[in-house]
Amino acid sequence: MSLLGFLEVFQYTRRDSPIHSLDPRSKLFLSIVCAVISVLFTDILPLLIVFFCVLPLIALARSMKRWARSMKGLSILLVFVIVFNTLLSPVTNPFSRSIALTIRLIALMTSISVFFLTVHPDQLSQALIQMHVKFEFAFAMSMAMRYVPTLAQEAYAIMDSQKARGVELDRGNPVRRIRNIVPIIVPLIIVSMRRALSIAESMESRGFGASKKRTYMDRLRFRKRDWGVVLASVLALVLLTYVRLYVPLPEWMLWSLPF
Amino acid sequence: MIMLDDVHFSYEGIYTALRGVSLQIDDGERVAIMGANGAGKTTLMKHLNGLLRPQKGKVFLDGRDTSRLSVAQMARVVGLVFQSPDYQLFLDSVHTEIAFGLRNLGFTDEEVEERCSKTMEGLGLSGLSERSPFDLSGGERKRVALASVLAVEPRVLALDEPTIGQDAGQKERLAELLMDLNKAGRTVIVVTHDIEFIVENFPRTIAMADGKIIADGPTSSVLSNERAIDLCSLTYPQMTQAARALKRAFPDISERLTSLSEVEDTIVSILGGRRK
Repeated sequence: MSLLGFLEVFQYTRRDSPIHSLDPRSKLFLSIVCAVISVLFTDILPLLIVFFCVLPLIALARSMKRWARSMKGLSILLVFVIVFNTLLSPVTNPFSRSIALTIRLIALMTSISVFFLTVHPDQLSQALIQMHVKFEFAFAMSMAMRYVPTLAQEAYAIMDSQKARGVELDRGNPVRRIRNIVPIIVPLIIVSMRRALSIAESMESRGFGASKKRTYMDRLRFRKRDWGVVLASVLALVLLTYVRLYVPLPEWMLWSLPF
Repeated sequence: MIMLDDVHFSYEGIYTALRGVSLQIDDGERVAIMGANGAGKTTLMKHLNGLLRPQKGKVFLDGRDTSRLSVAQMARVVGLVFQSPDYQLFLDSVHTEIAFGLRNLGFTDEEVEERCSKTMEGLGLSGLSERSPFDLSGGERKRVALASVLAVEPRVLALDEPTIGQDAGQKERLAELLMDLNKAGRTVIVVTHDIEFIVENFPRTIAMADGKIIADGPTSSVLSNERAIDLCSLTYPQMTQAARALKRAFPDISERLTSLSEVEDTIVSILGGRRK
């Protein structure tokens, strides 16, 4: 699944790292702040600075290898973004602009991945619950994450079934190839819906939702370092928003490529 | 003719599913493949039409090395029906679903119509022609999936667990249909745990365990092989159990009785010959 390989960076990996041991809520905050900061700027240099500030977080989470693999998978899409933006953008130096946008996209993905790489689905639902999201929704959320690999497996099984009926998935012109997705996607949706229904039924028959008040074995605790992360994030956000709105950036920061 | 020569296959190097499988299946044979869960049966089936390629060893189809043939090319010769019908049904009526494979392989409209109605009749689906496959029961969906492959009339039919979810009547009709196709010269290969289905319909049985073939031969001798039955985690066919019970009282009868007619003959001979 090389085409979707870049999604790896959004998949939880078990590691023993300072980032992993943070409370998911503080990580969520950190991730969102990083993402917001990446969209505050539009020039190459400020974006590069943002990117090189976020990247160490991935290194700290000991996930550089996975990140690099994902970016390799993303490279085709990035080339696409660069080519199309360069050709279609109305600004004066479109190539420079599209490079900046690409850096922004990478910074954005990296920011968000800090959260998904390091938060186990169970922790995510616990975090949501402690943020007063209803248990049912939190549970649905973590179930969805849990079933992603199953869905991928099923997609492969369906491709095999259709190939056995003479569907040639990797031949023909682009239109035909796109049409060939139909025999894959329809069974995938139907199978998923059937499974959702049967999971719901088996959960109900095992008493899901029987007691109104749930208790939890593990509860998340906000520790000093979590407050530290939140505080640092707030400071960074306030400072950079102020800079963005009221401080004109020096000339060299606005440097762009000549075309 | 299908020939596998020392085929090895492992999934991403993690899980070894086939460890040196060699077999030959001639045109017009009826062969059952049995084995415990995870023995490598489905992996073996996927090698027959090129969905999986051997990592070591070779697969030959009519004497030709298949490593250069595409799955679509092989699908014309080897029709593979998977366990789960839900992995292949996606159209809005039983009829179009069955026609889909035919159209893929470039049949003319008349041929498509003719083969569709013939197959639907054979599988008891005529009344469901315009129904949506998704509204049908599990057993019916399974027959639609089967029909969509049967309609292509491949020379070799490979079915993965075709009897699951079918009632006794449907099973019998399926057996009849397979017999008819076989009489018309088609090779039928079936993976199944349904030992009575094997006994009644398949003269040859291949038993697999742990990625290897542990027994291959006439069904009656494979199914009376204690080790094979044990490794495939099956129980003996009812008739074999009956014969063994009979043998306790009459020690001189054969142990290798698997079909109803054999046991009947034995009982009749014990009772002193057939009364006319």
